Amino acid sequence: MRPWLALLRKELAVAFGSPMAWLTLAGVGLVTALIFFDHLRIYNQILFLYATTTMGGFETDTVPTYVNLRDQVFLPVMETLALTLVGLVPLVTMRVFAEERSRGTDELLATTLLTPTQIVAGKFAATYLLVALMLALSFIYPASSVVRAGLGMPHLMVVYLGLFALGIALASIGLVCSAFSTHQLVAAVSAYAVAFVLYDFRWTAQFLPDTVAAWIDPLSLHPRFGSFAEGMVRGGDLLYFAGYVLVGFALARFALIQARVR
Amino acid sequence: MSEPQTRGAEVLAEGLSRHFGPHRALRDLDVRIAPGESFGLLGANGAGKTTFIRLVTGYLAASAGRVAVDGFCPIAQAREVHARIGFVAETSRLYPDLRVRGFLRFAGAVHGLAGGGLVDAIEKTLARFQLEDVAGRLIGNLSKGYQQRVSLAQAFLHDPPLLIVDEPTGGLDPLQQEEVRHVLGEAAGARTLLICTHDLGEARALTGRVAVLHRGACVALGATDEVLGRGDPLALFRGQAEEAQ
Repeated sequence: MRPWLALLRKELAVAFGSPMAWLTLAGVGLVTALIFFDHLRIYNQILFLYATTTMGGFETDTVPTYVNLRDQVFLPVMETLALTLVGLVPLVTMRVFAEERSRGTDELLATTLLTPTQIVAGKFAATYLLVALMLALSFIYPASSVVRAGLGMPHLMVVYLGLFALGIALASIGLVCSAFSTHQLVAAVSAYAVAFVLYDFRWTAQFLPDTVAAWIDPLSLHPRFGSFAEGMVRGGDLLYFAGYVLVGFALARFALIQARVR
Repeated sequence: MSEPQTRGAEVLAEGLSRHFGPHRALRDLDVRIAPGESFGLLGANGAGKTTFIRLVTGYLAASAGRVAVDGFCPIAQAREVHARIGFVAETSRLYPDLRVRGFLRFAGAVHGLAGGGLVDAIEKTLARFQLEDVAGRLIGNLSKGYQQRVSLAQAFLHDPPLLIVDEPTGGLDPLQQEEVRHVLGEAAGARTLLICTHDLGEARALTGRVAVLHRGACVALGATDEVLGRGDPLALFRGQAEEAQ
């Protein structure tokens, strides 16, 4: 087995050896279920309202076009799932480097044949796999709404590609914070701070001129994910998210090497 | 890349210094550890022993001077150096959420073992360190003594020519200390052994030559019996070389 693959396997074993990975996965499943059924309940209530006010059952033209499964259930659930990732991904990433350093096992890793690049690659890959697993768990409810709403599997896949891109961008932020920290709590709090600031720059519109705010807004995570949610895959968005991976990788590697000469 | 020697690796430090900001953890250390030698690094806590080990393993970079293992620089030629090193850190620095066998599989793989060679090495090491009964248990659930055995086992797994052990018996009860010393005693001679300790009895039992560090500086270097046989050896720990004569 290649050393970095052994590290990836170890990372997954350590992650699933602690309750945090299980709690996070359970959290994703629970939150998705709650949000999905809550939106479905509201959607059914709206339909019922139309049915009772027209007193004529479900005639297509009595229900406005915007009252549909896509707009009332699917897209809001995806939006909330994106925000859920902001809340849960730092819980997965906080321990990855910080725990290694606080336990002193980083010294053990540093005496193996693994290079800093391989260490970072193994840890990043394991974390991205966990993010993919989190999203896979949340797939069942949106998939069922696709069947009902006739959205089509390609649209759902594009949305999930967007969610995965958002997830790995958030994971990269969290991993960098973990790489520069010794304490897991510090890693998590700093990852939350950075992720919330970068998530949506619309709040800057209150303080900045419109032209500047309009220029800054596309730099935040939310509008980039928004394109995927609408079913569009744009090269610029993919590059934007790939940038997080590359910059995150370089910074985490720098943190490992810098620790030797500090 | 030349193959690691079977009879041990050479460690050479010349003018080796390491600073942490204004604090000088290691000052101008010159020492050569010959292949196959059992060498002890003595000193009180904070004397610079662990810093020296970290410079040898490449975990830290030197502020001045140089260190080499079989002629290879631990930073620039890390792969060559790490292929020669088995490292046991101060206290058991292990992964409590892994099982013993899983951890050894990982430790072997990241030292270049694979396939049947890895499986054989794990089985032999489990037997050698009497870990067969706990091979399927979580490391975090083992006693300190067993954890230290696991720590030693991972260091021996790839049969390294240089074994570096930092405070091997710290925090262990007398029986466990004896066990660890027995294992290290067996290893001595078959490879280079570099042991950091502040236990004089351990140094006498396991090493042929020692260096005593005080506040980062080497205050005594020589045969173990000679250095520790002079007057009050504890005076060396206080940096009073003349008093120890």
